[in-house]
Amino acid sequence: MTQQYKMNNNLPFTPKIKMADVIHLDFRLIPIIGRFGIEYGFSNKSVEEVCNDYGINTCFFLEIINSYHNQDYFPQKELQNFSASLIVDYLANTHDYYLNVKVPEIEGYIKQIKDEVSIENLKNIELLSNFFSEYKIELENHLNREDSIVFPYISYLEKVVSTNTIDNEVVEKIKAESIEQYARNHENMELKLSDLKNLIMRHLPPVVCKEVCQKLLTELFRLEADLEDHSRIEDKVLVPKVILLEQQILEANDAK
Amino acid sequence: MMQSEFNKTKVCIADKHFIHRLGVKTILSVIGIEPDLYEADSLETTLSCLSEINDVKYLIVAQDVLHPKLNKSLRKIKNQNPNAKLLVVCDGPCQAVPGAKLITENDTRQEVLEKFQNFFFHSEPESTDNDSALLSERETEVLKTVALGYSNKETAEKLFISINTVISHRKNITEKLGIKTIAGLTVYAVMHDLIKPEDVKA
Repeated sequence: MTQQYKMNNNLPFTPKIKMADVIHLDFRLIPIIGRFGIEYGFSNKSVEEVCNDYGINTCFFLEIINSYHNQDYFPQKELQNFSASLIVDYLANTHDYYLNVKVPEIEGYIKQIKDEVSIENLKNIELLSNFFSEYKIELENHLNREDSIVFPYISYLEKVVSTNTIDNEVVEKIKAESIEQYARNHENMELKLSDLKNLIMRHLPPVVCKEVCQKLLTELFRLEADLEDHSRIEDKVLVPKVILLEQQILEANDAK
Repeated sequence: MMQSEFNKTKVCIADKHFIHRLGVKTILSVIGIEPDLYEADSLETTLSCLSEINDVKYLIVAQDVLHPKLNKSLRKIKNQNPNAKLLVVCDGPCQAVPGAKLITENDTRQEVLEKFQNFFFHSEPESTDNDSALLSERETEVLKTVALGYSNKETAEKLFISINTVISHRKNITEKLGIKTIAGLTVYAVMHDLIKPEDVKA
C-alpha cells in the first residue's frame, strides 16, 4: 500500500527534502518529529532516508507534518488509508508527550511564578495553579481512558479483520462499546487551556517575573495547538475509520 | 483598523447652510473619516434624521439649528438618540451644554482639526479598561451565580429572569471575558473578589 501511495508534490514537505530543512522551514515541528522517535544528527539525509532508518512509514510521517504545518491542509481520506495501528501508535506517543513533557513543563513555570510573585498576587496565581491541576487530572483521565480502553479496542478490531477471525465475542464487543459512544463523549480538552490563557493575558494583574509568564503563555499556546491537531486526527480520521471497521465486521458476521 | 471601523460609522451634519456642511465634510476627509453621512438643515429635519436612521453615532450641529432655545433643542435631540455624541459649532463660549463638545469662533484651524480628531477618536474614559464597565450589573450577577456552581435553570430562578435571558447573558460574559468554562468563570470571579471560594458549590 505504501508504494501505491501518491504524495501530492506541491506540498512543502516531500520524501526528498532534507530532514534538517524540515525543521528550518517550521520549527514547530520539532516535537512532532521527536514523537516519532527520531533523534538528531541526521546529517544531510532526506526525510525518506531518515524514516527508513527508523522504520517509519514515510508517507504517514509526511502527511502528519504537512497537515501540522498548514492548518488548512488536512488530507482526511489519505490519512484514513493508513492502518489504524499506525494512527493509534502516533496518538499514543502524543499522549506520552503531553503527560511527560508538556504538562510538567507548564507546571514548572507556574511553580516558578508562584515562588517569585508578590504577596498581593499570590492568591491569583494559586487560583490559576489549582485550575491547571484540575485540568491536568481531567487530561490524564481523558488520555488514560483512550490508552487503556479505546486504543486497545481499535487494535483488536483491526486484528480481527486482518486475521479474519470474526466471532461472537467481537460482535458483542462492538455492540457494547461502539466507537460512536466514544465520539459522542469525546470532550474538548482545549477549552480550559484557552480559558487559562485568557485569564493570564486579560485578567491577571501583572506579575514580577515577566519572562517566566511569557514562557508559560507560549507553552499554553503550543499545547493548545497540538491538542487541536490531535483531536482533529482522532475525530476526523480515527473515528470514521473505526466506524468502517465495525461495519465491516458486523456485515461479515451477518453474511455468515 | 480604525479606518474600517469608521467606514460604517453614521454621522449626521446639521447646519442651515449647504456651504457649512460642505466645510464639515472636508474636515472629516482631512482627518481620515469616511462615514455614512446624513445632512439636515433644521431642527425638525435633524430630529427626523435621528428617528429614521438607527444608531447615528456622531452629530455635528450648528448653533443656529438649535435656536431659539438651545437647551430645549438639545434635550429633544438627546431624547431622540441618547447615544449620539454631540459636537456643537457655536459663536462664542455659550452656556454649558452637558456632554457635548464645542467649537467656537475663536478656534484656529489647528484647534478645530484637533477638536474633530478628539471627537471621533477618543472614546469616553468610562468605556475603557475598567472591570466594572467590562460587565454590566446584570451580567455580573449572572456571572456570580454561575461561578458559584448554579445551573442556568437555578440562576434563572434565583435572579427572577428567564433561562433564555441567562443564556444570552452567559454568551455576552464569555465574549467579553474570553472565558468559556464554568471553572474558568469561577477563577475569574474569585480573582476579582466577586465571590468567596468557600461558597462555591461542590
